[in-house]
Formats: sequence, structure tokens, C-alpha cells
Amino acid sequence: MPEILGASGLVVELGARRGLLRHQAGVRAVDGVDLSVQAGETFGIVGESGCGKTTLARALLGLQREADGEIRLEGRIVSGREPATARRERAAVHYVHQDPGAALDPWWRVGAALAEGLTIHGVRDPAEQRARISETLAAVGLDPAFAERYPHELSGGQQRRIGLARILLLRPKVVILDEPTAGLDLSVQAAVLRLLRELRGRFGLTYLFISHDLSVVRRVCDRVAVMYLGRVVEEGTARDLFEAPRHPYTRALLAAAPRLPPPARAGGQGDPLQTSGAADIPSLPGDPPSLRAIPAGCRFHPRCALAEPRCAAQDPAAEVVGPEHSVACHRWREAAPVPSQHSTEPA
Amino acid sequence: MHATPAPARAPLLSVENLSVQIRTDGGLARILDDVTLAVPRGTTLGVVGESGCGKSTLLRAILGILPRGAMVPKGAVIFDNTDILEDGAKSARGRIGFVPQDPYLSLNPVFRAGDQILEIMRRHAPGTRRDHKAKLIELFRAVQLPEPEAALAKYPHQFSGGQRQRLLIAAALACDPALVVADEPTTALDVTTQQEILALLRQLTAERGLSLLFVTHDFGVLAALCDQVVVLYAGRVAEAGPTRAVLDAPRHPYTRLLLACHPDRAEDLVGIPGTVPAATAQPEGCRFHPRCPLARPACHAAPPPVLPLAGGRGVACPYNAEELPEMVLA
Repeated sequence: MPEILGASGLVVELGARRGLLRHQAGVRAVDGVDLSVQAGETFGIVGESGCGKTTLARALLGLQREADGEIRLEGRIVSGREPATARRERAAVHYVHQDPGAALDPWWRVGAALAEGLTIHGVRDPAEQRARISETLAAVGLDPAFAERYPHELSGGQQRRIGLARILLLRPKVVILDEPTAGLDLSVQAAVLRLLRELRGRFGLTYLFISHDLSVVRRVCDRVAVMYLGRVVEEGTARDLFEAPRHPYTRALLAAAPRLPPPARAGGQGDPLQTSGAADIPSLPGDPPSLRAIPAGCRFHPRCALAEPRCAAQDPAAEVVGPEHSVACHRWREAAPVPSQHSTEPA
Repeated sequence: MHATPAPARAPLLSVENLSVQIRTDGGLARILDDVTLAVPRGTTLGVVGESGCGKSTLLRAILGILPRGAMVPKGAVIFDNTDILEDGAKSARGRIGFVPQDPYLSLNPVFRAGDQILEIMRRHAPGTRRDHKAKLIELFRAVQLPEPEAALAKYPHQFSGGQRQRLLIAAALACDPALVVADEPTTALDVTTQQEILALLRQLTAERGLSLLFVTHDFGVLAALCDQVVVLYAGRVAEAGPTRAVLDAPRHPYTRLLLACHPDRAEDLVGIPGTVPAATAQPEGCRFHPRCPLARPACHAAPPPVLPLAGGRGVACPYNAEELPEMVLA
């Protein structure tokens, strides 16, 4: 599959000020990210708060100017542009907000909110707007009559659907989904994920799926990148990454995620504490460090169980550990791929 | 639920046939209906359910902070052999600790975190301010806050999200409660922080012999922490029993369908048809029947009682969810 959206050495600085007398250095929220998203896939980005997931998304969209590096869209280089041009050149990339309820104006009917996007993007004929809105509402599984409703009349799942309809109207090629299932109940989440999969096939979309819900990412993503403090520390197919994680951070993250134990056919009197990885794998010490004090060498070394002197001195480069699997760690070979608790049933 | 190993000893907390209703502009909201559950001493009970199932109202009833205008047509909340609905939870003051959901919203940003907790202790714990301070530093150490002495003088913004949740756990423990009630205390946290907080809660409950009532919508968290589980649907108990047994072989159609929605379990992502009914428009009979693939005419008539099953389980459905047609789940 060809690459549709890519980045090389992407750096995004936030909060830098260059005054007449005073220079204030910014923080590098994204610091040297290489990324290549293939057409038609769902590419997951996972990481904890503050790892730069959302900043990366904003840079790819053209809403946040990159400080260095290159962004490619459908084979063209689209980085290094002025803000207005940057967004216009990336009209094929769209973004679905984390909280679509907050992204809708409470005083506007849903139809008006949907029509606004069309107007901005050059579709001004009211009849055509109406036709496209009904068609898109049907595509996201809502009755066209929803155009007459106000946002507060919608449930959480319906708001997500409107959020999706809003960008589908603009015929995107790449859709950045920022925590698309945050705050949804399990049954609604399943329906939304199913809808996303249907829409991807039907409209030929490519998804960049930002989430911290590892169960969901494992379920829906083809490939996954794990970010830590502005860097991609491991990247691979969802299968490789979840079954044989190589980076100590990925492994800690996977071990920390509470998982539903697989149903045991017999008895069912197991000790509940033994069924989750949370009990037996040591947790990651400390809070994620701040971008204002990035550790030297490997950024993860102060919290890493495998750290050695070299890790504090030398920044590890991404190494290929298998087909479509790369990891930025000096000691990935020592981190033998023990079967993670995710792939085995606990005894 | 009542078949606890030591029937001679009453559970620390038991909610008996509790119904809560609120009159709203849209009609009478029947938020909780005939809910029965028990937290035996030294155990952890998880309450799980989707939005609108009445989890929060149940917590408020237990904490004695039901909204004004809430009516309790029947039922009792018995804490340590006293019905706390009768005395407005006065007898339970300081003996039930509460850990709220959002550590970012639950501390006043303009007061020192330590002072906010000391104020609780001044109202509800015996001793002088000096005793309280010494005790609080000890608690900060128990919840593994860095630099416990210095933490007393810090403002909430000087703590990270995980540290704030530790502060709130310390606040919940400040008056030596027998029961801690936690409302999804890890939803706002990252997974690695969540893991630490869950480990801390496990450790504290074991060390101090606390009982814990834990509300969540995350089955993974539930499996990691809770001995027993109660599944609520639309204000009624759908299913109850030992966590592992319920997760392994759910008997209520709702529990089974809900678990089938979990990305770790699902064969395919399906969802449950329909939506949770509004509290003002609860269906007659079994509240799940409009969405239930097993529903029969009898389900429309009267709400099914919670039938006892082997192994201390109970299910509010006369049919066996094992009979759910596979096509519904596939």
C-alpha cells in the first residue's frame, strides 16, 4: 500500500517566544518523529498524557507549525508553509474532536453546524447542502431528521456520529480520530467502533487513531506507534506490538492496562487478583517527566528497569527488530519477548 | 448476596430493597428500584453499569447526600446495624470515606491541600490540630506521596493527577473510616498511574481491614480489584455474585451482551440494540426487555426478582443467558 501521510524528523515546539530582549525557549512536544501511514489502514498512536499525541495530530493537520522536519501528504511535501497555506494544502486531512458534544454550538441545530463546514469548503448551494447532509447522516446511521435537533438532544453516541458526519461531508481521505471512544459506555463504544470500520471501507478512509485505551487500539488498529515524551519509542503491527512488545515502556504500559480475563470454562473460582497483570508486574515508578526537563540519553531511562549507564549517555536510535517492527532502545535484545500476559491465559 | 461465609456477622453495609425517585419536569424519575446489595466486612464490592444505571444515586444514598427532593418510597441503607436513611447519615459521619472521580475537580485550588483535609478532620475526628497534622503526614506516607511533610503546605496544582488522587485517598482515610466508597477514582488517570492507584487501594484495604464499595464501568478494573460485583441496569440489579464467576459465565442477558461489547472479549464489535431508557420512562416489567433477545411476553408484565444461584450468585432473569442465540453475539 502506498503511503498517504508521512513525517520525517518532525519537531514541534510549543511556547517559544522570541522577543526583542528576551528569548524564551519552548518545549519540544514532538521531537524527531518519523511516521508513515499507509492508505486504507488504521494507524494507532498510544501514549500517556503529555506524550505529544495531540500536538503531533495538530502538526499533521497544519494547525500547529512544525519547527523542523518534513510532512508528506499523498507524495507531496506539505511542510514549511505559512499557517493559512499549511491548512489549505492538507484539506484531505480532517480531525474528529475528542468531545464532539463540546465541539457543537449549543445554540445551533445540528443541520446548521453541518452546513457551516460545507459553506466554508465551497459548497454553498442550499439544496446541495441539504442533500449531502441527509446522505451523510444516513451513512453514520442517523435519521436525516436529526438535522433539526439541538446538540443537547443527542446522546453521547449520537454526538460522536454527528462529529463523524461533520467531517465526512468534506470528503476527507485521512481522518485523525482523537480518543474517539473516550467517555462512551461499552455498548455504545462497540457500535461506534463498528461504524468507524464500515465508514473506512465505504469511503476509502485512512485513520490515525489516537487513544490511550489499549484494548480498543489492539482491536481496531493495523499498526501502532507508542509515544513517550515526544518520541516514537516503538512501532509495529498491532499483533507484534501487543504480543511481543520490545521496548520496556511499551511492556510497562501493556502490563498496566487492566484487562478483562478471558472466560475460564471450568469452575470460575479463581482469585480475581491473579487474573490481571496489574497484580504481579511491578508498576512504572514515578510520574511521566515533564517536557521542560527531558532526561539526557534515552528519555525513558530514569523509569526503566533495564537502564544501564549507556542509556543515560546515549540517545537510542530506532532499530529494526522484525518486519514492520522497530524500537528505540539500547537493550531491546535483552528484553526477550516473553509472552506478555496479553496473549496467554493466566494459570 | 446474603449467603456470606459468616452469616452470623452482619455485613458492614447493606442496602435493602432501596428505591429512589425524583420528581422532575419530565415526570417521575424512578432512578433506583428495589436495589439490594451488601458489603461484608473486609471485602471489596464492585458496582458496574453504564451511564444512567443509577450508580451515582446509589452512592449518594449511601453517603447520605441524596439531592433535595429525592424520595425514598421504600428500602433501607444499613451501615453497621443502623439505618442511615433514618438519621440522615449522622451516625455514619466520618466512618464512611469517599474517593471522588475526578482528582482535578475535587480539590479547591485556592486552599492548601493539607488544610482542606485538616478541615475534614477538625469536623469529624477527635484530637487536636497537632494530632491531626501528625496523622495526616503519616497518611501521606501511607499513600506514598513524595515528601509527606512538605506536601502539607502545597497547593493542589503542585501535585500531578496521580498524586492528587493519592491526596484524595488520604482525605477519605483521614477519619479512620470502616468503609471507603470510591466513584470511578481512576477514570481520569493514565493507565500506569491507574495501576499504581489500584495497587495502593488493594494494599490499604488489606492492611487496614477496610471494606470498599467501588463504582466503575471498566470491567478490567473490576476484575483487578473487586471480590464481588453487582451489575446494575436502569436502576435495578441485573446480576450479582463473585467477580470472577460473573465475568466467566454471565447469566443475565444484559451482562452477557455487555461483556460481548468489550474489546478484549468481542468476537466482533456489536453493541446492544436500543438505548438505556430515560429514568422517567422506564419500561414496565423487566427494564431490559425492550432490548433483550430472550424477551418473552411474561417479561413485560412484572419485574423479575433476583433469583439465587449456586455459588452466592443471583440473577434477575428467569432465563439462562447461555441460551442467547449465537447469532446475536456474533
